[in-house]
Amino acid sequence: MRLVTDSGLWRTGPTLSAPPVVAVLEASGAVLSWTIDDPPDTTATQITFTDLSRAEWLWRVLGESGHVALASSLEPVAPDEPRRIELTGVDVLPGSLDLLRRLAVGHWLRRWWPASRHDGIAGLDRALLDVEVAVLTTGAQGFFTDDTLDSDVTELLAPHAAALITHLRSGDPRILHLIRAGTELADEIGVDGLAWPELYAALDDSGTIPELAPQSGRRDDYALAAGVGPGPRGAAPIARGVASVNWTAVPPAIFDAAENTVEWSVEVDGTAVVAVVQAAVIGPEPATGVTVQLRSGAVSGTGVLDADGRATFPLVDTQQRPVTESAAWDHDWSTTAVIIGADVAETRETRERIRRWARARLDRPASDAFLAEIMAAESDY
Amino acid sequence: MSADSQLATTVAVGHPRRSVIDRAWRALGPGVEVLSSDDGGPLSRTVKRIIDPLVLRLRSNPQYSAPVVAPETAAAMHDLILGRGAELRSAAAWFEALKLERRRQRIRAGNAQELYFPVCFELAVTKGPPARQDRETATAVLGDIHQGRDRTAIEVLHQHVANPDVLARLTDQLERSWRDVRAGDIEAGPFLAKLSTVLGPANSHGSAAARQRVWSTMIADAAPYNLGALARVDNAELPWSIVELGLSSAAPQRPPTISGGSDSDRPLDRSVVDRVRATLRRALDRDALPDIPLLCEEEVDRSCAPWGLLSEDKQATLVTGIEVAVELAPLDRSVSSRYALAAQIQARLRKEAYVLHARRYLAEGGPIHPRQRQVVDDLASYAQPYLSRLWARLHGRDVWQEPCNDVDDVRSLLEGVARSVSLDHRQRIKAMLELQVAG
Repeated sequence: MRLVTDSGLWRTGPTLSAPPVVAVLEASGAVLSWTIDDPPDTTATQITFTDLSRAEWLWRVLGESGHVALASSLEPVAPDEPRRIELTGVDVLPGSLDLLRRLAVGHWLRRWWPASRHDGIAGLDRALLDVEVAVLTTGAQGFFTDDTLDSDVTELLAPHAAALITHLRSGDPRILHLIRAGTELADEIGVDGLAWPELYAALDDSGTIPELAPQSGRRDDYALAAGVGPGPRGAAPIARGVASVNWTAVPPAIFDAAENTVEWSVEVDGTAVVAVVQAAVIGPEPATGVTVQLRSGAVSGTGVLDADGRATFPLVDTQQRPVTESAAWDHDWSTTAVIIGADVAETRETRERIRRWARARLDRPASDAFLAEIMAAESDY
Repeated sequence: MSADSQLATTVAVGHPRRSVIDRAWRALGPGVEVLSSDDGGPLSRTVKRIIDPLVLRLRSNPQYSAPVVAPETAAAMHDLILGRGAELRSAAAWFEALKLERRRQRIRAGNAQELYFPVCFELAVTKGPPARQDRETATAVLGDIHQGRDRTAIEVLHQHVANPDVLARLTDQLERSWRDVRAGDIEAGPFLAKLSTVLGPANSHGSAAARQRVWSTMIADAAPYNLGALARVDNAELPWSIVELGLSSAAPQRPPTISGGSDSDRPLDRSVVDRVRATLRRALDRDALPDIPLLCEEEVDRSCAPWGLLSEDKQATLVTGIEVAVELAPLDRSVSSRYALAAQIQARLRKEAYVLHARRYLAEGGPIHPRQRQVVDDLASYAQPYLSRLWARLHGRDVWQEPCNDVDDVRSLLEGVARSVSLDHRQRIKAMLELQVAG
């Protein structure tokens, strides 16, 4: 096993690309990372040790002698000190990271799954996904001897009792099995409030479940999302175009994950020249408060989206003076950029790659697919 | 392979601590399933709440807490765990009994393992396995846990300080204690200079030994006491501002009150009653706690002591922590640290911030939603929450007279505080996004 220092921390495994293509898991004393569309192969695991002495699980992955060898070889390093070490006879035990990778993928799905009405990529059921991640986390508790960002099971379960009660009606044995496991866990760790007492009662008295009428069809998250808003208003706009949302610039579960979903136009509103922007939303979260910028040479403007992904804001020149209508007609809008959320560098190719991976997961669910993925695949006819 | 690379063929000596526990656990045989995970090893909470504190008793046997233990230590641990086999099986049976009773009473407050495990082991030691039909014990135990021993103790505290005579006596004592602390004419420079050794890189056994020697002189140094005493003097020259560090809402530090007074939760502003209440809340696992009148008297003296801590090793640790804290800035890549330990912590904090980015809770280096702005700005003033938490830990150690004389223990305390503050911060950053769900 080869270990190198990276920004003051020891790590093993390959250098990985930037988010969103990485699935990470924060175990005690280490952060494990994988490239999301890599084949599940242990050699592709990157392990960065944040605190080797807290990584008390390491023997499960490297064996006892490997753990001891690492513990006695890795000295703390200065942030700018490049070091390398080669440990012979120390290797990742086959299969020892499978559960962790699956957890990392689960967390990734919660945050990055590219649900899109435009591209026809079905959304994942959040309650089922969170419950499955919670159950897996409990199974991996040996890796979370210190609390980490990923050890909190209560937080994963707590919001979902009402949704799970709805799911009980599906009568699908796979769903029932998962809900039972999640509810048993919730009971033991003391999740209460919201609709939990009802869910506990429904399961305690399991005879009542089959009597509930099976629901016709599943709740479709799309149906709840706001539709695309009205198109640009009235008179012909001075300019118009489309842009794409950078995923790393915005929180999840707001915007449609397809390309060219942001329609913009430059219009005259009274005496002011304004930008009108409509970003396609998919929900269930509102777009409220997400910033939007338009930049076009010397002209720019900044606004804030409303819940449905729409914003209208005035355009100004480099001296912050309002742009006049005649100046706007004279302006060359061909290089206009519209930026939703934070200003980040992200390529269309990266997003395309992830959509490809997601479609493949839906077409042929992997052997370790989450139930939420399987349900999405089955709904995706 | 490059020139700076090194080839290590390490002969593994010793065993990972957890693997020793795991193997011993499996050797216990049947009867402990409810304390075990699906793969047959002990549950994490079994280790945290039973094995470590009650079987291996890490507090008095620190040799069992090293991440890797020597073969003879491993053998001793193995024997200790197997030697408690009967109690562990009884504890498992008690846990089943308590869980049954919990379900019967439809109690859903708190984590059952976290709350019941220590009690189960205690019952196993005192009563053996649960007797058939003994539901009374289970009922009584659950009542005790869920009605709260701590709450009872806190009520006693409130009654105690509601007595005007008690209040007058404590106030009187407080005025005297406060006057007794005086700053002397002692340079802090030499003390602070030694920190580069204590917080320096930990490479060889030689440097570890040197570090321990230096730390032993530092905890006997009058400088930390004196700095704390200076913090209450007008226009005193301190290397830092206690207000900016978040230790006090005013400079110079004002005398503490017995109860009430300030709304501030800054460590040095907290009233005596508030501090005793914190002690009682943290005392759940302790058998030995001084009675409440004694606790109050002692806390009056402690609150008047420099840095609000009585023992010199705690004062020295807090000053050391201040020097670390002012170097931490999780989202700032430009920070360079004077101390190797601070640099190490900073490297971790940056990796942890990266995890948030990889999970779409932060854009690269900044908020991903304007709603997070406040919390992200808070991250820039990392020293304040860091020192509040460090102070609380040191306060606990001061009350229970747990030493800070071992330099490695102090270093891991300083690291542990950074870890929990970071987790807390990051959970707030997450929560700020998730507010949208509710809103």
